[in-house]
Amino acid sequence: MFKKFDEKESISGVQQLKSSVQKGIRARLLELYPHLENYIDQVLPKKDTFRIVKCHDHIEIVVNSAGELLFFRQREGPWMPTLRLLHKYPFFLPMQQVDKGAIRFVLSGANIMCPGLTSAGARMSDAPRAQVVAVMAEGKQHALAVGLTALSTEDIAKVNKGVGIENCHYLNDGLWQMKPVK
Amino acid sequence: MADRDLTMGPREGITYPIKVQYCGNCSMPIEYCEYYPEYDKCKQWLEKNLPTEFEKVKIDEEENAGGEEEKKRQKRGGKGMLKSKKKEDVPKLVQVSRAPRGKKKSVTVVSGLSTFDIDLKVAAKFFGTKFACGSSVTGDDEIVIQGDVKDDLFDIIPEKWPEIDEDSIEDLGDQKR
Repeated sequence: MFKKFDEKESISGVQQLKSSVQKGIRARLLELYPHLENYIDQVLPKKDTFRIVKCHDHIEIVVNSAGELLFFRQREGPWMPTLRLLHKYPFFLPMQQVDKGAIRFVLSGANIMCPGLTSAGARMSDAPRAQVVAVMAEGKQHALAVGLTALSTEDIAKVNKGVGIENCHYLNDGLWQMKPVK
Repeated sequence: MADRDLTMGPREGITYPIKVQYCGNCSMPIEYCEYYPEYDKCKQWLEKNLPTEFEKVKIDEEENAGGEEEKKRQKRGGKGMLKSKKKEDVPKLVQVSRAPRGKKKSVTVVSGLSTFDIDLKVAAKFFGTKFACGSSVTGDDEIVIQGDVKDDLFDIIPEKWPEIDEDSIEDLGDQKR
């Protein structure tokens, strides 16, 4: 999603949000990520006015008043946390672990293939289809990508072929490189 | 590490937010540096800035030295190899010049500040308040300050941004607009 994302070219505008819309986003986030409940006030303080950055390809990014990038989504898809946020609060997404061999492909933006999730070094936690997941790596502590499951984990284990998790945001992609928005 | 707890929910005994150490060279968490094409530079950075972390990485490497994994991996290009982004090495230089504005007034043009990773908008605002005049970002890497303040800039720029040396500010003299 952010492979060819460039801070200068891809942003079309920054918008201050109405408080009703902000409330809507907060509620939606809590619905998506119930584990975030105790921490939502740290992530998105109630008093903080956050903004939305509109980008090409119908991508929207939620930014807090300090300019830190927090969540993004494409069209009407689910809100996904940026990796910087996820590194701070790694617990609110289901984690899937890929084996060592897959890391370099994921880091260059490839989707996560099923064998990379089912082999010895990999582990999966149950997740349905089209769920936002954090992609962890064998032997590493932090997440390296955020993705959407293309199949349920059950099917991934069964089919064991093709794309298992769609890579939406990975380390060192355009979104990761993006500087805080003023 | 093999049996990682993949369940969701905050862990006990950890206070959030977690602070993650990022590499200053590749910007990724340190553990991922080894996948960066310019790993050597990352190592240099680590050695300089986080010696303790560097020691850890070194020990890890020594354990893995001569490991089979490294040998098995095919050393071809192609897919899966990260390409390093070419960084253009622009010489770090700030250029100041004066341009006429009407008959007897002039403006000062400052360019090159962004080679020092300075936010131009902030810089323009700063010049405006400092000299009590109009100041605006006019181009990709150009600030125009209304009024002739060229001489003052040589003192003020190094003072405000210590990373800029006075020698790296170049005087272009008078220029046409």
